[in-house]
Amino acid sequence: MKRRFFQKRTVALIAVLGPLLALLVYVSLSSGPLAPVPVVLAPVENRELSPALFGIGTVEARYTYKIGPTYAGRILKLGVDVGDHVKAGETLGEMDPVDLDERLGAQKAQVKRAEAQLSETEARKEYALTQAVRYEELLKARSTSEELATTRRQELQIAEAGLAVAREELSRAIAEQKALEAQRRNLLLLAPVDGWIVARNAEPGTTLVAGQAVVEIVDPRSLWVNVRFDQIRAQGLAAGLEARILLRSQRGVEQMGHVLRVEPLADAVTEETLAKVVFEELPEPLPPIGELAEVTLALPKLPPAPLIPSSAVLRKNGTLGVWRVRDGALEYTPVVLGASDLEGSVQVKEGLKVADRLVIYSANALTERSRIHVVEKIPGVKP
Amino acid sequence: MKSSGIRIEGLKKRYGSGETAVDALKSVDMLVAPGEVVGLIGPSGSGKTTLLKCLGAVIEPTAGKMTLGQEVIYDNGWKIRDLRALRRDRIGFVFQAPYLISFLDVTDNVALLPMLAGIPNAEARARARQLLKELDVLHRAQAMPSRLSGGEQQRVAIARGLVNQPPVILADEPTAPLDSERALAVIRILNDMARKFETAIIVVTHDEKIIPTFKRIYQIRDGVTYEQNGEGRLLTT
Amino acid sequence: MISLAGRDILHSWGKFVFTGMGLGLLIGITLSMAGIYRGMVDDAKVLLDNSGADLWVVQKDTLGPYAEPSSIYDDHWRGILAMPGVKAAANITYLIMQVNRDGDDVRAMVAGVMPGEPGTPGWPPYLVAGRQISRSHYEAVADIASGFKLGDRIQIRRNQYTVVGLTRRMVSSSGDPMVFIPLKDAQEAQFLKDNDAILEQRRRTAQNPAFNLPGVPGLPESVNASQSVNPYVNAVLVQVEKDYLPEDVARMISRWKRLTVYTRSQMEEILVGKLIATSARQIFMFLVILSLVSSAIVAFIIYTLTLGKIREIAVLKLIGTKNRTIVGLIMQQSIALGLIGFVVGKISATLLMAPIFPKYVLLQPLDSVFGFFAVVVICIISSTIAIRAALAVDPADAIGG
Repeated sequence: MKRRFFQKRTVALIAVLGPLLALLVYVSLSSGPLAPVPVVLAPVENRELSPALFGIGTVEARYTYKIGPTYAGRILKLGVDVGDHVKAGETLGEMDPVDLDERLGAQKAQVKRAEAQLSETEARKEYALTQAVRYEELLKARSTSEELATTRRQELQIAEAGLAVAREELSRAIAEQKALEAQRRNLLLLAPVDGWIVARNAEPGTTLVAGQAVVEIVDPRSLWVNVRFDQIRAQGLAAGLEARILLRSQRGVEQMGHVLRVEPLADAVTEETLAKVVFEELPEPLPPIGELAEVTLALPKLPPAPLIPSSAVLRKNGTLGVWRVRDGALEYTPVVLGASDLEGSVQVKEGLKVADRLVIYSANALTERSRIHVVEKIPGVKP
Repeated sequence: MKSSGIRIEGLKKRYGSGETAVDALKSVDMLVAPGEVVGLIGPSGSGKTTLLKCLGAVIEPTAGKMTLGQEVIYDNGWKIRDLRALRRDRIGFVFQAPYLISFLDVTDNVALLPMLAGIPNAEARARARQLLKELDVLHRAQAMPSRLSGGEQQRVAIARGLVNQPPVILADEPTAPLDSERALAVIRILNDMARKFETAIIVVTHDEKIIPTFKRIYQIRDGVTYEQNGEGRLLTT
Repeated sequence: MISLAGRDILHSWGKFVFTGMGLGLLIGITLSMAGIYRGMVDDAKVLLDNSGADLWVVQKDTLGPYAEPSSIYDDHWRGILAMPGVKAAANITYLIMQVNRDGDDVRAMVAGVMPGEPGTPGWPPYLVAGRQISRSHYEAVADIASGFKLGDRIQIRRNQYTVVGLTRRMVSSSGDPMVFIPLKDAQEAQFLKDNDAILEQRRRTAQNPAFNLPGVPGLPESVNASQSVNPYVNAVLVQVEKDYLPEDVARMISRWKRLTVYTRSQMEEILVGKLIATSARQIFMFLVILSLVSSAIVAFIIYTLTLGKIREIAVLKLIGTKNRTIVGLIMQQSIALGLIGFVVGKISATLLMAPIFPKYVLLQPLDSVFGFFAVVVICIISSTIAIRAALAVDPADAIGG
């Protein structure tokens, strides 16, 4: 009767408004701060750990020889260029002697003069000797005065002294000549070892000061990688560790090597430990010196132990810990961690057992009172 | 007794003051017995509408006396405090247009009045349906007003006017939009209802078709009423 | 007594629902604006929370590192770590720059974090995929708002990085996604220039007679080397021991180290009070304008609806309906309109507007509750115009057609 009429209208309206209100309630609860937080869980697993160290290095030569003059001068000749291979003792170039040759000539003339001087004094001495002997004889025959005999004796002494002077003068001139010759030889730039010219710093005609390098030579067999490791992540760094070297210009190819030594002097400013890593086999073609390389060192594998992903670890109330899910509820559990590897796994020494389920990813920061909603993948993360 | 009809004595209504004052009603005297249906005729501008408004307690007369049943409702000033309750409970209105509430169905249009008076919904609806039955529109009880024909709407309006069993019904040109058959039917219904419920009914009209049906007619000219009987003879001087 | 308002609504429900939906979209925009403001404040808070720090140590007299550039030497952290009350101290750099991936540029805030274990100040506190940085160079953790995926190779300045982890809601205070890279790489990125600029610099050094002294071989190389080293960071993040008050530790550090130190509440004030203040004002203005517009629309609609019923209202008054009932009729209709609008608005704000807006929109339940009451109040006030019109109707007009 009349009831039915109202109900038809009312029912129709409820059919429209009802879902609308339900949608409102759904919307209020499923988004915003009232909604449960999506989380991804993972169990604690018992696995081996392959820890590794990672550092960045530059390719350097172990021995670099900088060849240059010992005196200021000008370059006369330079016979080698970058990329040339040279042998030990090979002449690479020459500095300009300037007046050295002339001075050598002058010195040689000086030697000759000294020699002539020597002959002269020798002759004088002979004469004085002869005179002294004769006058000695005359004195014995009383044909001459005592005074004259004495004078002749004295002249002999003077002549002998003069000879000694001339001899030493000659020695000195010869020594000075040798010195100039040595200097002359010094103007030659010689390769000290077999090697490879890597730099040519000046051209002929350039004036250099003492100590400036004209060319730089490296021994190609002595290429190594000077690697820097963050001190915080350098635990276990030791000589002999196996290394995988990835040169920047050869991204797809890994070179094998090993750690030759760990430098005793670390870099205090950048807080890095330095190590030298050598190639097992030099790569062909030789990498340029100064090229960057990424070096990964494999530390000894650790036996199976409880492992967790490092993304589960957080700091709360001053301790390191994880969110454990027990019976659907969140529980913060402090842990003590052990070694970790480069792929995000870390050992748990204390605090968790194998098969405990942990929160490894969450869409929001969690608190003890958060409601959680376990999912396979956090919404919004594209595959 | 519920009512003893309407008595109006010396009613005056002046609009405005001073020089621009207009006397819509100068001296109105009327007497309607319970159960009687009287007609009120007059040219337009004669004060018919003003008189209805005074009787309906929607405007205040300037002077005079109005008695409804035993109660004096106006004696040179309203003697009743709650005019609205007076209109709701003691006066019924029937207009020339049905003026039904468009968003209420027929039953609720009629039942609204008793509900406004505080009567519980079920009882109000029962009363409404009773009247609708009397007026032969019960079969349209659930319909919305816009679905009804003019005549049906008018009958519902009459039912609404009667539902609170008021002692007085004021009908303003109730047959104007109707044809002669329907008009006479409406007058017949009014007479039946008046007799049945002892209601005094004043019908304002200038519908030639129904004037002959009245036993007594008041004529109003220039604000003064003159009574005449059905044959057109003046009864008062 | 039946509900007149209810009957009227039922009778013309189509009009109501349609109008309510239109109003609802307007309300939805208003709610979203409030959400945008909350999102901005949340961006700032999240930035501070995620850094894991209790104190920020920055260049003296700057508002850094987020509100103003700040440069301090990168060895200050050691001295700070040694101070009493300091549990952990870590360098950090921040720079907003373009990050490149396969030719696409993404504007991001690149943060350089010190190597260490999870929980070091500056590290993202939680991930949504992948792992934290484990190598000392060329790895990155990026926020998903950047669009990067695990395994992507991205370019920052001169180097390429592999994305090894993803985060969510790690953004700068202006909503740029964050990318975390090792500190040394970040220092290089921040201060080392591109190749052209470096060559230019070397050329200038070579031409400068002060750097070309004949008696000092190797001087130009030393100068070049010193110019390509960057010993600066933007701030040191400090965690305070449990038994110490951050304010006390901050005071100590700023006195002995001659640096400026901010506590968390001070940083929040700087970010929210200074950085966001302008945007907050703009959004507040929008909120007020939208509320006024909504109010005007509701007033207009209810007024029009009332005017359409003016004859019926006169009849109702004539037959003895109380004024109170008529006022109730109009006001209830107004509130019903507001309710439909609010429901539509809340739903559209959450499902439509918040997800597609480029900034983070945070719709808080409290805001919705407040908005609900505001809508009701606005509807009540807006209906007064119509109510006045209805009350002014003379019941006598029903008589005498």
